[in-house]
Amino acid sequence: MQKDVLLNTMKENAESVQSVVSHIKNMEEAFCYVSDLTRRQGGSTVTAPGLNIDERIALQEICGKQGIRFLSAPLRNHLREIHTSLTFADWGIAETGTLVLDSTSEDLRIATMLAESHVAILPAIRIQPDAASLESGLTALQKIFPRYMAFITGPSRTADIERILTIGVHGPRELHILIMEENES
Amino acid sequence: MIQTASDMKTYKKKLKESLDDPFLRTTLDNFGSSYKLSRAKAFENLDFDSLRNQIAEGKDASILCLEELFGTFKTNAEKAGAVVHFARDAEEANSVIASIASENRVRNIVKSKSMTAEETFLNTHLEKKGFKVTETDLGEWIIQLRHEGPSHMVMPAIHLSRRDVAALFSKMTGKEQNPDDISGMVEVARKQLRNEFLEADMGISGANFAIAETGTIGICTNEGNARLTTTLPRVHVVLAGIDKLVPDLGSALRILKVLPKNATGQAITSYVTWITGAAECGDSFDSKKILHIVFLDNGRLAMSKDPVFSEALRCIRCGACANVCPIYRLVGGHKYGHVYIGAVGLILTYFYHGRENARAIVRNCLNCQSCKAVCPAGIDLPNLIKKVYRTVLNDEHRRPVKNVLLSTVLKNRKLFHFLLRQAYLVQQPLTRGGPFIRHLPLFFEREHGFRSLPAIVRRPFRDQWEQWRPHVESPKHRVALFGGCVMDFVYPEQGKALLELLARHNVAVDYPLEQTCCGLPALMSVEETAAKEAAIQNMDALNSEKYDYILTLCASCGSHLKENYPKMFGGESDLRFRVRKFAEKVIDFSSFTVNVLKISPDVFGKSGKKIAYHSPCHLCRGLHVTDEPRKLLCFAGLEYIPSKDEDVCCGFGGSYSVEFPEISAEILRRKLDNVEKTDAEVLVTDCPGCVMQLRGGMDKRGSKIQVRHIAEVIAEEIIK
Repeated sequence: MQKDVLLNTMKENAESVQSVVSHIKNMEEAFCYVSDLTRRQGGSTVTAPGLNIDERIALQEICGKQGIRFLSAPLRNHLREIHTSLTFADWGIAETGTLVLDSTSEDLRIATMLAESHVAILPAIRIQPDAASLESGLTALQKIFPRYMAFITGPSRTADIERILTIGVHGPRELHILIMEENES
Repeated sequence: MIQTASDMKTYKKKLKESLDDPFLRTTLDNFGSSYKLSRAKAFENLDFDSLRNQIAEGKDASILCLEELFGTFKTNAEKAGAVVHFARDAEEANSVIASIASENRVRNIVKSKSMTAEETFLNTHLEKKGFKVTETDLGEWIIQLRHEGPSHMVMPAIHLSRRDVAALFSKMTGKEQNPDDISGMVEVARKQLRNEFLEADMGISGANFAIAETGTIGICTNEGNARLTTTLPRVHVVLAGIDKLVPDLGSALRILKVLPKNATGQAITSYVTWITGAAECGDSFDSKKILHIVFLDNGRLAMSKDPVFSEALRCIRCGACANVCPIYRLVGGHKYGHVYIGAVGLILTYFYHGRENARAIVRNCLNCQSCKAVCPAGIDLPNLIKKVYRTVLNDEHRRPVKNVLLSTVLKNRKLFHFLLRQAYLVQQPLTRGGPFIRHLPLFFEREHGFRSLPAIVRRPFRDQWEQWRPHVESPKHRVALFGGCVMDFVYPEQGKALLELLARHNVAVDYPLEQTCCGLPALMSVEETAAKEAAIQNMDALNSEKYDYILTLCASCGSHLKENYPKMFGGESDLRFRVRKFAEKVIDFSSFTVNVLKISPDVFGKSGKKIAYHSPCHLCRGLHVTDEPRKLLCFAGLEYIPSKDEDVCCGFGGSYSVEFPEISAEILRRKLDNVEKTDAEVLVTDCPGCVMQLRGGMDKRGSKIQVRHIAEVIAEEIIK
């Protein structure tokens, strides 16, 4: 599939399950996005497991200006406090608008499960057409154990009361995908 | 506590309760209709049949080597830090899990949805041992608070209204909840259950997949509760049926591609979680999760070796067989299964929860084939339901009087036809010479009076054959007509209309008089020997070598001849070839007219009569004929007006309508309501059995809409 077709399919399918999709060019834009989002929602904390030290300092600085606190690992100490989490997706699956996150790190799991809003950066080159294209990649990862992999498609939802779709029952109420066009890693 | 009726009398009383519940009926009916649309959308541009074949083949291969897969899984999962257990039955699974909880000094347990845990009644066991267990899937939590079992495999609380949930939550929180604020109620669950997650020491989950190659567990959820259940507490126990084992990730992904689409019309569930081994856990003393995986046998391994029933282990628990079942849509899951519900539930109940619980429910199947058509694993559910009924009768050494009579009569064509002729005489006081029996004699119960019954004619088709038989010089095709009992003895005029049409198109037709009942009623009453004898008589009578086609006006007979005959004799090498030859020649009226005769629209007038159409189960799902009858109506210059749920059963189902008259009546009522909403003058269908049910119902409600067989209507439109 051509790159732009893949990108559009990813975007369309993710949006059809209430994910919010945007494009960014660099990390700074992601940090500003997270900070603005948190403020707009009246939140006061962010966390971002997986950032290197320089990135963390940059995010802290941007958030600090808006009075938003950065929560450091281990996140078990902050289970009830996380408002926004920022993570990196390992892959995207265009066919279903899915993010694939290697969530073996407990902090990453806590960040993506207990936050009110989850923001994930998805490098455009990591978008695959379908789950079958990931079969060998995932199997290789699973052979190096322990491993906890997550497919995430839209925010948490339920239809258990009269089949009425309701968003945000246990996990994040919002899922934001930031597609990063250039970054190779 | 789940209580399932073990005898028909109690069962029928319970069914009546559901039939009288207006909320249940509306909600399930709306669901049935919207499910169909969302499912179709989810499979747009995908080839369902080929996906289904892949799943069936993959599952069949796994079923053959479950023990081997278990060994591989155990080795790989234990390398990765899990402990893998094998439990022979429910009791053993429950006690293994309770011991794990005790050994780890657990007090609070959170659970994410697991049908296998429902199967073993795990919660009851753990609560008896003093553990606090909280279900975290919203629907499961609701039914746990109500002390009920699930009424659907995917949507456990679908039988409850917002008012029921509001009342429950008001009582629990001590604060009045607004039933129309569904988000508000979901918020109550989020808050309450978040506390439970944070306080739990052990999480129990099910598994959708167990991947042998890597020792990985795969779990699908929408709410995200399985992720929290498997992450926050220090102990994680997985309980899974041993049939969930697949060799590799590819097999799991193939199932995943279909499961959510077929379950709810979603492309994929919000979360799919893949767990390989004991991941990091800050709450555990060595920072590693304590992970136990319990595989439940409970009869599965024995089933996997059974030549007939192993097919049921292909089930991927999507729940679709309930979604499309016209009976489920009326009575709900609590009356249509035990723990497992829907068509597959009728089957699994016998194996997992015993004969007592299966005895009555297994008889509640119309054989409309809807479940079979939608099953993503290609399980022939209606067939297995009948086989379970047979097994129940065998176990109990029972043979109902009805079965003895039916089998004696059907084996002997002369006796059978003699009795039908006697019936003509006996019914005289009831029909007063008319076409209907409108008032049943007193020995019938009141609930049978929902339709007028047709009268048996004085001169069946076979008696008029010599007189009606057309003579065709140098014919284009030679066909044998398979009449079927209803055309022959009730509606010979349908056959007559066909003869005229065939003669005009240069088709030579024969009606071998040695033919008898197709045998479907015997098979439906699980009298297989009688069914086979009838089949052999018919194959002898209609020697397929002599004809180009074996034509029938009856969809039920047609699909029985074409599909069930080869199935019944599949294992018998001396007959297999002959049956296949015979079956290949069987064709229905519309397909023959459109595809073989290639009838031209020029031969018809343009009356523009408004026609509604009922698609018989055994035509659209049995013979897979859907376009031809509708095309034919248009060719014939008629105005075809589509109506809602055209392909849903009319509720006849042969003896089903006698055994479960109240359900049959309700399914028929809906069908006729849908037709009456159009402004059609005639309701057309291609099965004399359906004509009988639909016409009887229309007559009873005094409707002006006529009900006719498509052959009669088409023949009439030909310019004479």
